[in-house]
Amino acid sequence: MGLSQNVVFGLVTGSYIAIAAIGFTLIYGIVNMINFAYGEYLTIGAFLGLLAVTMLPVPLPVAVLLAMAGGGLVSLALARGFFTPINQTGPVPLLLTSIGLGIALRSAIRLVAGRSARYYDTETVTYRFDSLPDLSVGSVDLLGGFFVTSEHLIVIGTAVAVFVVLHALLTRTDVGIAMRAMGDDESLARVRGIDTQLIRDSVWVLAGVLAGLAGVLMAIQTNVSSDTGFSHILQILSAAILGGAGSPYGAILGAYVIGLVLALSTAFLPSGMTGLSSAVAFVILVAVLLVKPSGIAGKEVREA
Amino acid sequence: MSVLDRLPSDHATQAFLAGAICLALGVLFAVTPLRAQLPNALYVFIEVGTLFVIYGLLVLGLDLQYGHTGLVNFGHVVFFAVGAYTTAMLSAQETFAGIGLGYPWPLALVAGVIVTAIVGAGVGVTSIRLRGDFLAIVTLATAEIFHSLFVNFEDIFGGNVGILGVPQPIAEVATNGDTRMVATLLVLGGITLVTLAGITRLTEAPYGRVLRAIRADELVTRSVGKSTLTYKMQSFVYGAALAGLAGGLFALYNGAVAPGFFTIQVTVTIWIGMLLGGAANHRAVLAGLAIIMGLRLASRFALDATPVGADVFASLRLIVVGLILVAVIRYRPAGIWGNEQELGVDS
Repeated sequence: MGLSQNVVFGLVTGSYIAIAAIGFTLIYGIVNMINFAYGEYLTIGAFLGLLAVTMLPVPLPVAVLLAMAGGGLVSLALARGFFTPINQTGPVPLLLTSIGLGIALRSAIRLVAGRSARYYDTETVTYRFDSLPDLSVGSVDLLGGFFVTSEHLIVIGTAVAVFVVLHALLTRTDVGIAMRAMGDDESLARVRGIDTQLIRDSVWVLAGVLAGLAGVLMAIQTNVSSDTGFSHILQILSAAILGGAGSPYGAILGAYVIGLVLALSTAFLPSGMTGLSSAVAFVILVAVLLVKPSGIAGKEVREA
Repeated sequence: MSVLDRLPSDHATQAFLAGAICLALGVLFAVTPLRAQLPNALYVFIEVGTLFVIYGLLVLGLDLQYGHTGLVNFGHVVFFAVGAYTTAMLSAQETFAGIGLGYPWPLALVAGVIVTAIVGAGVGVTSIRLRGDFLAIVTLATAEIFHSLFVNFEDIFGGNVGILGVPQPIAEVATNGDTRMVATLLVLGGITLVTLAGITRLTEAPYGRVLRAIRADELVTRSVGKSTLTYKMQSFVYGAALAGLAGGLFALYNGAVAPGFFTIQVTVTIWIGMLLGGAANHRAVLAGLAIIMGLRLASRFALDATPVGADVFASLRLIVVGLILVAVIRYRPAGIWGNEQELGVDS
């Protein structure tokens, strides 16, 4: 397997990390909290989508919409129940609360869904999308040989669509513009007559919707288990911080860097140490925070 | 004048005396033919109790960092692990995989504390300036990095199996199993109590007041001429070194180290214990930890009494633990025995 295959994998991973990281970074930028339970929203979305595909059953696109709606509702409900009441206490209590909530959610999911990993039936998935041509390429010697499946294309294409819609939302709609205003200066936004609580709620819903979508895409690519979200939260966090916490465009860039680094590191790490590739994301995270904590395009996070 | 009146009245001296007595009793059990006999039902109590006193060192160190100085270290387990691995690698006689140098254990234990302090200084010097929640993230990520190093460098750290064949000093001299358990609990408990005494002295001194002032308002503290960065570094390194000591003792008690002993669960347990009891109050954080460890004990008994699987119980326990953390922060931010005013500026 050549390097170019790793690039394909990196772009796919980067795509779903990017969708998740946008939601994560919006919460950071506007509610000013690091939501460590956010990974669990992905898990919930992935399981909701799986339930919809297998139990109802509905076509995958409908299941994706259900997962997004479910993610948005869960996110808003948890925010109202747990985070909004302690909004005034500062970032550390919010972070700790999200860690506790994350543990409880993860354990509750495990209680219901069990420990083992579940798979989206890729046969079904390709069947639903059988209009897409099979793009498997046997071996292209120049690039070292690579293949692209229709799932890869679905994930990358969805991500691009999300970026376009998000850009339009943030620049063309009142809610989006209000979100950006709040991210810049909350008290100024309030003085200007923006309903800050409404915007906060919108951000929570939007972040949950993105998490639900990212969860299903991630699960299509690999699988879903109760630990799916938790095992990705540091990558999502790394992407958001690398891009500059609070900046959605930075998060997209950060996510693709993380995705490519993860995928390429497996090619360069000696065999038997590929497990280290997950550490690579954390090394990036730590390095960015130490060298340029404001990331590529974000707020200052140093205190003194 | 009764005996009670002669007892020292300050907490530090009390803790020191109690610790010294525990240590003496433990050594007595270990080296003399004196034997302990335990009913089987007590084994699990002694086992969890031993883990409690080791975690007690962790919570005291973390409380020095967070409770007193306000440093949000969410990777405390990494210092625990570094201490344990250093001690194990230096002292292990024969090991299945990974390094075992077979040096005497006291040397290994001291080295474990020193290496952990150095690692703590490294983490501190790079990240201590960050805002609270970002410091938490960096320390957490550091712990994950170390975890994957331990798992992946099999030739050095023994991979998932870890390092076996670590000497167990108390087990080697104790005459039978029961005596060994009692002596271990007493010796480790004694060490924790003596540490409690030392830490109490430290934080009751003007030094501790500076630390709490930094937590309350760093800018004001700096403006009266204190080098807050130096104090924060010292507090961070002391806390790390204590965790290193706990790790070294754990390795020598357990006879083996493996990545599975050093997961984020340890960090979470310590944090919840500290917040539940009441940060910045040494005895309160130990009591909070006891409640969380008691919950673990209770869930073991409940598991024996019901037909459902261990997995279900583990999940239920974690749901409860997570919700306790959420509830404490919301309804009792100063903890059960904490003083809300004390968390502001104190005299």
